[in-house]
Amino acid sequence: MSKRYDVIVIGGGHNGLVTAAYLARAGKSVLVLEKRPRVGGAAVTEEIFPGFKFSMFSYVVSLLRPEIIRDLNLPRHGLHILPLESTVTPMENGDYLAGWADHDETRRELYRHSPRDAEAYDEYGRLMHFMAQAVKPILSMVPPDPTSFAPGDLAALLKLGRHFRGLGAERLHALVKLMTMSSADFLDEWFETDVLKATKSASGIIGTFLGPRSPGTAYVLLHHYMGELDGVFRAWGFAKGGTGAVSEAIASAARGFGAEVRCDTGVSKVLVKGGNAAGVVLENGDELAAGTVVSSLDPRRSFLQLLDPSHLPDEFLSDIRRFKFRGSSGKVNIALDSLPVFTCMPDGGPGGRLHRGAVSISPSLEYVERAYDEAKYGEFSRRPYMDIVFPSMIDPGMAPPGKHVMSIFVQYAPYHLNGGWTDAKREAFGDAVVNTVESFAPGFKSKILHRQVITPLDIERITGLSEGNIFAGELALHQLFFLRPAPGWAKFATPVHGYYQAGPARTRAAESWARRGGSRRCAS
Amino acid sequence: MSDSRYDAIVIGAGANGLAGAHYLARAGKRVLVVEQHEAIDQSADIGWVPPRVLRELGVNTVNIEAPDPWLTVPLAAGGTLELSRDVAKSAEAIRRISPADAAKWPEFSARMHTLASVLERLYLAPPPDIETRNVRELARIGALGLYVRRLGKQAVIDLARILPMSIAELLDDWFESDALKGALGALGIWHLKQGPRGGGTAFNFLHHHVGSPAGVFRPARSNVTQALQALQGVEVRRGQRGTVLAKNGRATGVVLDRSGETILAPLVVSSADPRSTLEPIAIELDPEFAWAVGNIKARGVVARGTLMLDRAPGYATLCIAPSLDYLEHAYDDAKYGRDSAAPYVEVQRTGARVEVHVQYIGTSGHPDLPARVAQALDVRSDQLQLQAAEQSLYHGELTLDQILFMRPVPGWSRYRTPIEGLYLCGSGTHPGGGIPGAAGRNAAREIV
Repeated sequence: MSKRYDVIVIGGGHNGLVTAAYLARAGKSVLVLEKRPRVGGAAVTEEIFPGFKFSMFSYVVSLLRPEIIRDLNLPRHGLHILPLESTVTPMENGDYLAGWADHDETRRELYRHSPRDAEAYDEYGRLMHFMAQAVKPILSMVPPDPTSFAPGDLAALLKLGRHFRGLGAERLHALVKLMTMSSADFLDEWFETDVLKATKSASGIIGTFLGPRSPGTAYVLLHHYMGELDGVFRAWGFAKGGTGAVSEAIASAARGFGAEVRCDTGVSKVLVKGGNAAGVVLENGDELAAGTVVSSLDPRRSFLQLLDPSHLPDEFLSDIRRFKFRGSSGKVNIALDSLPVFTCMPDGGPGGRLHRGAVSISPSLEYVERAYDEAKYGEFSRRPYMDIVFPSMIDPGMAPPGKHVMSIFVQYAPYHLNGGWTDAKREAFGDAVVNTVESFAPGFKSKILHRQVITPLDIERITGLSEGNIFAGELALHQLFFLRPAPGWAKFATPVHGYYQAGPARTRAAESWARRGGSRRCAS
Repeated sequence: MSDSRYDAIVIGAGANGLAGAHYLARAGKRVLVVEQHEAIDQSADIGWVPPRVLRELGVNTVNIEAPDPWLTVPLAAGGTLELSRDVAKSAEAIRRISPADAAKWPEFSARMHTLASVLERLYLAPPPDIETRNVRELARIGALGLYVRRLGKQAVIDLARILPMSIAELLDDWFESDALKGALGALGIWHLKQGPRGGGTAFNFLHHHVGSPAGVFRPARSNVTQALQALQGVEVRRGQRGTVLAKNGRATGVVLDRSGETILAPLVVSSADPRSTLEPIAIELDPEFAWAVGNIKARGVVARGTLMLDRAPGYATLCIAPSLDYLEHAYDDAKYGRDSAAPYVEVQRTGARVEVHVQYIGTSGHPDLPARVAQALDVRSDQLQLQAAEQSLYHGELTLDQILFMRPVPGWSRYRTPIEGLYLCGSGTHPGGGIPGAAGRNAAREIV
């Protein structure tokens, strides 16, 4: 009989690792089991082509909470975040819209497009800044169950109610609008410049199966603002060494607290004895015992795959089956001989700053909405929305000297493609992406040394994220908070005693659960 | 008191304007109603008429139709699906196209009816004031919360989960038949510039289910406006549009557009849409409020009209919406400003009148629309008379950001405006369109 652990964490992605680090810090003996040869899940850096390193899936860091960076002392474990300063949106007419690191410069740029919007921009920024702060504490709350009459839930509901009222009427109304409107409608109230609305609303559709005119996207707009609290146009960052470096740093911190991390170790089942989690069965048939099992996989895999259905109530099972994933995005990683030249800014701006920031292919609201229309009916977008970055410009270690890596986040690429994904379809999708970039940066194609095209199906196969959904479950209003992943089961506990969930699907509160209540709960 | 002849002037002689006027008259006020149209509108009122309004105003000439079957749906394979008022009979009809859907019909009908009953409760009073510190209002909100929780755990979960959902997702959860989902989904997009995949369309579906029996998903049709017209007690002047007059933050009366005549009154209640009511007095408004009024989404997507047939059709309501994708494609056109190439069309027979509802229309000119509708219905286009509404017939779309305490504009949901003595009572206010008389009643009760 092997060693018995207090806690086994299934999945060595950043959520699993953070949970393990906090539990180990609280004195538990913790084992993390990762199926792939390296930790990180969707946050991995891989040398896909010799000399060219890529953050294969997830490519920017923003939603990692500062408390976690502090608590786990991640900088000491090698985490170094480099700012991603600007966003340039090339337009169809050859002009561009830029958001720079310098606020005044951004305002001047906006003024060029619309003096009215430049005026509205500051007030809009203040509102979003405030709203992001107002929503943050709600996200880190353990969601109360409004169907329960337990004193704890009632008190939490009351607290939630008081928090909302504390916002004041005007901001409460803004919150209701953000929660219910489409990003296009919400932005229409503030701005008139189409390309500005398109670029902003594009951040409202990332990871969703919705278009800028679909209600519910304004909320996602805010979700992506959480990393933007200093009021900068866009305060996302790169990790030096790619996003895999973030995972490595957290793993190192976890190990530092005494956690054990095992790669190449897939879990096939969670052992349940007498209604209690008792350990796990590995893919090679070995059994490991633990008093508590935490799954950082998405809800579908945590419950439908790792558990025998007989351990779960029928209603819960049908809720989990109904929980929607519908991955909608893909990724194209490109090794470049030299940087592409964009028509809208041939010199790349002073100091080549275009390539130091993001390039957003979202020239108009109609462009993005049409990209969605195709996905709605089961096709990938022929002219998709893209978020492009050149990590080698910020971290030269990512590519051989003089060469570059280019990361293209692409939406929409539906998981449920008409006729299903095939190798030919994957290449056609890659061609659509390359051709669209070519239309904004002629000559781009001739600079490509290698390309890797990742479809949602590939994301699912490699990382295990169901249907390749990058948020481990669609961000939609009816799938958030106490409804995530199943009504009444948002509190990290599951119907199986001693089996917990930790992952992005558990709202962003997963980390804080591990930080606060988690260790106590596991101890009890 | 002013020395004018009237205590109150109501703008608009629709169901809400008239209901509001009569409630004010019952409270002892001398009321004048001004209506821009000369002729009395003969078209049917579509929507649930709260029985309380009829009872309180003593209206007994109203005729509310309860057609059975309430919907006839042509099937692609030939024949029709007929949905009846009797849940079991509908299930029997559905069984012919999908036994699985038939099995779910009774439970679906019951669950939706429970949810609509929560809305019904909300609609016969002003919306809950979530900012209040008033004990009575807090008690009212508490009672509502308790009412919902007493409906059971399932109802609480359904409410939170379903209201923000899209009607397509809701129906996909329950049913497999395209014909059934198309026919039900159509109710979710009524008067909305959204397709069935848009979030909040499930709410719109429930809104239009309020007041109907379980298993009936089309609102009632009646002649309530005409019945209110026949009621004595208020003076109605027709043929001139009244515009609000305000000075120093106070309503002073209305001015009539043709004669230029000014009629003074200390109280003006408008059932016209909030934007056109408030725009002429924008100078009196605080910029934040004016901004909010300017932002009311009231995009017109519906054309209505009449259909001339040689003899009365064999159905009461005919729905051309063969699938959710059909509706979604129809919406795609409207999204880019065009009329739907293949629009959703519904034919409604009320008494001897046969009316049509066509959705969606684009933003400019509609030259091909009659031909497209005629094709969908297999009639000649000269049998159709269509009127495209460039503005929402509900004076504000019923999207989640424009209901309850957000309607007509956030923070001003109690029928008041920042102009003293000026109130709103039309479908632009809570509870919105499709419930003739409710807003008029709520507003009048708030005033007196």
